[in-house]
Amino acid sequence: MTASLRRTTLLALLVLGGASAQTYSGPNVTLTFLHGFTGPDRPVMEGLIKKFNDTHPNIQVRAQAQPWATTWQQLPSLVASGRAPDVAVINEDQITGFIARGAVSPLSPAELKAAGIDRSRFFGPLFATADYKGQSYGVPVSSVAYVMFYNKDLMKKAGLDPNKPPRTRADFLAAVQKCTVDKNGKNATQAGFDPKNLDTWGVSLYNNWVGSRAAYAAILQNGGSMVDQNENAAFNSPQAISAVQFLVDLVQKYHVARPNSTEEAELAAFSQGKVCFFPSGQWYLDRFEQQKMNFGVTFMPRIGGNVRDAAWGGSSHLTLPKQRAGYDANKRKAALVFMSWLTQPAQNLTWTSTGSLPTQPVVAKNPQFANNPISGVFDRLNSVYATSGYPWVGQVMTPFDQAWEAAYLGKKTVAQALNDGVSESNKQIEQARKNFQ
Amino acid sequence: MTVTQAPPQTTTAPAPLPRRRTNLEPYLYLLPHAVLFFVFTVYPIGYGVYISLHRWDLLSGRQPFVGGEFFRNIFTPGTPQFDFFWKTLWNTGFFTLVSVPLLVAAALGLALLLHRPIFGRAFFRAVFFMPGILTVSVMGILWRWLFDNQIGLVNAAREALTGAPPIPWLSTEGLAWVPIVVGTVWWTVGFNMTLYLAALGNVPQSLYEAASLDGATPWQQFRHITVPMLAPVTLFVVVTTALASFQLFGQSLIITNGGPNRSTQSVIQYITEEAFTNTQYSSAAAMGFVFGLFMLVLTAAQFRMMARDVKGD
Repeated sequence: MTASLRRTTLLALLVLGGASAQTYSGPNVTLTFLHGFTGPDRPVMEGLIKKFNDTHPNIQVRAQAQPWATTWQQLPSLVASGRAPDVAVINEDQITGFIARGAVSPLSPAELKAAGIDRSRFFGPLFATADYKGQSYGVPVSSVAYVMFYNKDLMKKAGLDPNKPPRTRADFLAAVQKCTVDKNGKNATQAGFDPKNLDTWGVSLYNNWVGSRAAYAAILQNGGSMVDQNENAAFNSPQAISAVQFLVDLVQKYHVARPNSTEEAELAAFSQGKVCFFPSGQWYLDRFEQQKMNFGVTFMPRIGGNVRDAAWGGSSHLTLPKQRAGYDANKRKAALVFMSWLTQPAQNLTWTSTGSLPTQPVVAKNPQFANNPISGVFDRLNSVYATSGYPWVGQVMTPFDQAWEAAYLGKKTVAQALNDGVSESNKQIEQARKNFQ
Repeated sequence: MTVTQAPPQTTTAPAPLPRRRTNLEPYLYLLPHAVLFFVFTVYPIGYGVYISLHRWDLLSGRQPFVGGEFFRNIFTPGTPQFDFFWKTLWNTGFFTLVSVPLLVAAALGLALLLHRPIFGRAFFRAVFFMPGILTVSVMGILWRWLFDNQIGLVNAAREALTGAPPIPWLSTEGLAWVPIVVGTVWWTVGFNMTLYLAALGNVPQSLYEAASLDGATPWQQFRHITVPMLAPVTLFVVVTTALASFQLFGQSLIITNGGPNRSTQSVIQYITEEAFTNTQYSSAAAMGFVFGLFMLVLTAAQFRMMARDVKGD
């Protein structure tokens, strides 16, 4: 190979591999990499690692896949005993807890820059998921989100434009009322409508934690939040109560959603063409595609309020766990190179084949998504918010899920349910706080 | 006649082994088990006590001694631990109270039916035993589907037969126990049935013959021969079933996830939540010990009661 040809190849590689993936030129190192991608996503991750090892002769990544819960239980003792993996993947609901307890080391701006990791390349709230007190602790490698599936055929039947899913609360309410039709053919806006005998209905709401993510989105959309500035639970603010009240009204006042329903029942109903709008995790995309349904996917409309777009999201972040004193600095450099490489657009594009959403706008623009229904949410991926930023996500989200259940099932008023949830949550936070003193 | 007597033979016993070596030998045999017992039972329990008395977090530099704080939480009204530990302990106790009599009676009933030489006996024995080999997740998903509020087979059948509107089994406090209890009976009755079948085979036939000569009715034979002869196995079945029921976890986790409003949450699920969702390991350890103590007392009481019955006092 002539020198000029080599230069051209190198240039081509650089262009294809993304702008600025840095290389590592130190002595050979072996990195251990702990991750929880144990499902159908496992071979994709293993393929990527093999590719990395093949193209980086002086870095060998040895990956270990194990269930997430096992990692959450083991990571503290691995870090405490100085045997932490060089790189570990931590999910959004755990990450701030591990950061606050000192299990993860911060990534300095200089380090990120040297490794070619530019946070502005990623969706903002997604990258910020692993931030805590002004420092970065992780780089997003995978992302899922709450979206809204819609049945195009049913929308057409109800006189709605299937290419224009609702975006505001008013649009949404009008659409779900038209979609809710009783066995006599009367819809929810007409006189004599019988909500007890529905043929089709507007929207799926249900009582488990996935169902409660609709309430989470609504609260953020109305300018509310889960915790206040002191990291105490605050999901009973007036904004939160009014946002959740609208969801409960959909069941109790407008009769456009079934009461007492379960995720399974609503999933089956959407699959059978009984319901127009099915808000849920984007992970059901595969299932509806296999059923050859005529459906679309859109971002959660602003049902809670008009302050901002918002939907819940989950994510996985590459992190560098805290190591014992005297840890090989070359390993940290190599680990950053690995993190950088794995989150480059080319690799992220490969990773989306597992059902993950793109982590960065440049990947979302890839033409391969043009005809994929999931691209219907891409215009607002920058408004996906994970549950992180405070160390006691469990103490906040469990009472929140319980509060949603009580409100949705009509066991408590919305205000009562959210107040009870916040009071329980804050008692638990008060106890958890002592761990950090 | 002169008898030449052989000189008395002195049998020389082999020199006794030094005493110390004989004393050591049994301990050497016990050693493998003792090592496992100490490493996997005694040490973890001791470490658990340590955890429950300290504010324990592996990642924290300090693990301050807090004494009985986490035990006090369990007994102080107003704390989440007080509210939920006792609620979930009551849930678990309720499940045990309902499921144990069902599991024992159904197992005995099935065993009595299948002990007689009826047609298809082996087939039915297999049918009733088979669900027990399913994992709890398969069993749980099955019963969750059957009792689904909207699309469950139970509601569908009820509507087809009586035209009644569907019952929200999974989201109504109280009713949510139905799929859990019925599912558990269906799932585990086969094991107890097998124990009863084996025990029935050991009751001497001559007792029944003698009784029927004396004119005893089938009910009298059952009451005065079968039941007493089965007493030892009944003790075993009741104690093991009660302990298994107290360890309720998977069924309610999968069928209702403890809901609605924690009404079917088992105490083990709550302890798990405290440890791994709330990362309050010390608090969870303390609750584990209080729960363990409960099981110990209950089992001892059961043994005392039932042992009296077995002896026939």
